[in-house]
Amino acid sequence: MAVLDEPLKEVLAVKNYIAGEWVESEGEVVDVVNPATCKVIAKVPISTKDEINTAVKAAQEAFPEWRKTPPLARARCLFRLKELFEERFEELSRIQTMEHGKTIDESRGETRRGIENVEVAAGIPSLMMGYNLEDIAAGIDEYLVRQPLGVFGIISPFNFPFMVPLWFAPYAVATGNCIIIKPSSENPISQTKIAEMTEEAGFPLGVWNVVNGGRTVVSGMLEHPDIEGICFVGSTPVAKDVIYRKCGETGKRVVAQAGAKNFLLVMPDANLTSTIAACMTSFYGNTGQRCLSGANLIVVGEGLNEHEYNAFYEKAVNAFVDAACKIRVGYGLDESVQMGPLRDKSKKEKVTGFIEKGIEEGAKLRLDGRNVKLLGDWPHTCFLNPTVFEDVTADMTIGKEEIFGPVASIIRARSLDEAIETIHSNPFGNAASIFTSSGKFAREFQYRVLCGNIGINIGIVAPMAFFPFSGMKDSFFGTLHGQGQEAIRFFTESKVVIQRWF
Amino acid sequence: MEQPTASAIIDFAEKLEEDSSNFYENLAEKFAEKKSVFLSFAQESRKNKVLVTRTYRETITDALEACFSFEGLNLNVYAVTANLTKDTEYSEALRMAIELEDKAHKFYSNVAELSKCLLATIPGAFRKVAERRSNRKQILKSLLDQATP
Repeated sequence: MAVLDEPLKEVLAVKNYIAGEWVESEGEVVDVVNPATCKVIAKVPISTKDEINTAVKAAQEAFPEWRKTPPLARARCLFRLKELFEERFEELSRIQTMEHGKTIDESRGETRRGIENVEVAAGIPSLMMGYNLEDIAAGIDEYLVRQPLGVFGIISPFNFPFMVPLWFAPYAVATGNCIIIKPSSENPISQTKIAEMTEEAGFPLGVWNVVNGGRTVVSGMLEHPDIEGICFVGSTPVAKDVIYRKCGETGKRVVAQAGAKNFLLVMPDANLTSTIAACMTSFYGNTGQRCLSGANLIVVGEGLNEHEYNAFYEKAVNAFVDAACKIRVGYGLDESVQMGPLRDKSKKEKVTGFIEKGIEEGAKLRLDGRNVKLLGDWPHTCFLNPTVFEDVTADMTIGKEEIFGPVASIIRARSLDEAIETIHSNPFGNAASIFTSSGKFAREFQYRVLCGNIGINIGIVAPMAFFPFSGMKDSFFGTLHGQGQEAIRFFTESKVVIQRWF
Repeated sequence: MEQPTASAIIDFAEKLEEDSSNFYENLAEKFAEKKSVFLSFAQESRKNKVLVTRTYRETITDALEACFSFEGLNLNVYAVTANLTKDTEYSEALRMAIELEDKAHKFYSNVAELSKCLLATIPGAFRKVAERRSNRKQILKSLLDQATP
């Protein structure tokens, strides 16, 4: 099948967007590379500390007027932004495929999920309402109002260049705050396009800013006294030891969503056909580069004798391997492709290192994704095919560490208790799913498992925009989460007023 | 076995509706006595394209999260080349149109059947277009009956 037209025809010179102006950075410039074609598609600056300071000042100056803007008027900017996203839906989606590598269907799904957050935040006149109670004492009434705080920083990862900042940004501006987004320098184009559209949507200058770069920008945000809070999505070491710690030191609010090692359990009573289909998108969707990806599949033998369990295990593993080897890999703009490349060469090397480690530690390699087979004639630089290991144990490197690539580890457990213990032996707590037709097993699982997002017969436990994106243990640092009502609370102060008139 | 992605199906449907629209516009120009019928078909195809595209875009996450592909659907089966030439006679053109509608109806019906595990709006949209295509086929058949001595 032919490759869809690429919307980026020339190398784009990415700029910062500060106070409604497109500003050249003084910093070093690095290449943005399409991982499927290995062609340079943009140049992005690594901005300086002065530049982040300028953005904070611009956002701070915009804040008093923006906070006074009626919530309905702020919502109208979001409605217009949504319309622009719809109008340019295809262009935005194809850009994600070009800058990240994911398939066009995955990119369109990402665009839709981003739009959904704008749609939910547009309900701000209702979402932001406080509450009141008359006569809490003689002639005294009490009420609560939610007020915006000022300027927030949003630091986003490479794996969802369009959507992740939209878990936070629409709610931040809807509640009357101003924002500075630092996209991943690996794929900053989507956020540049969004910033262009915020201008068209009528956001006042300085409300929505984008500063490209790396550690200097992050440090600048963390240390700046006028940034009230940080929203971060990335790895656990950075979330825990840098973002969360520094926000604690400087008294900032923080949402720090981190790494994951997600377990999927298949029980003997599961519908195996549907389970395996769901597993394919869970383990290999977005080339395994998402914090909700399946990583470990536990085949559980609850209620089976040894002979029955071995038969069930073989059946499940064979079905998994058969499905995984059929996944078509190639450039995501080819509509027949089901899995794209890793984001870059170093990420491929890291995943390959995990595969080697798995072999070294004694896991059985059932499907070796290092044998790259592609649809189309693309450089193999960033590509891997799906990999499946079996006989993995939870203490092996591939069983416990986040791989962030298309590698599935299959683990045995004789009972549901043993499977839950295995999940709990892992420090992460982002997502876990059970595949079963038993309400008892499902209830037991959702009640006991210490993970923020629980799936019952669901491969990707992705909360909708009107629910928080949860997370526990080493997968989340903070109190309130992104999306929905929790985001509204995160971006506002709850002020209580008690009044009496003499 | 064929396993077209959701994207490939929508791409096919969009092209099918564009081609249909062009075909009926040409038909309207060539056979002026039934112009209004053919132009209404052309317009309906444009609406079909909007319906299918919008439904897909608004529900794509459901298809993705269910790891959905249209298993066993061979798109080549539904491809039609309906080329009108200056020598094409009215009855021949109607037969081409009936074949086009027949294949389109089968395509949308099968796609609706295969997607019924997804959000109801998805098979619903495909069924609606299938029904419209079936209605057109009936109209075209009656035109052919009238035209055939």
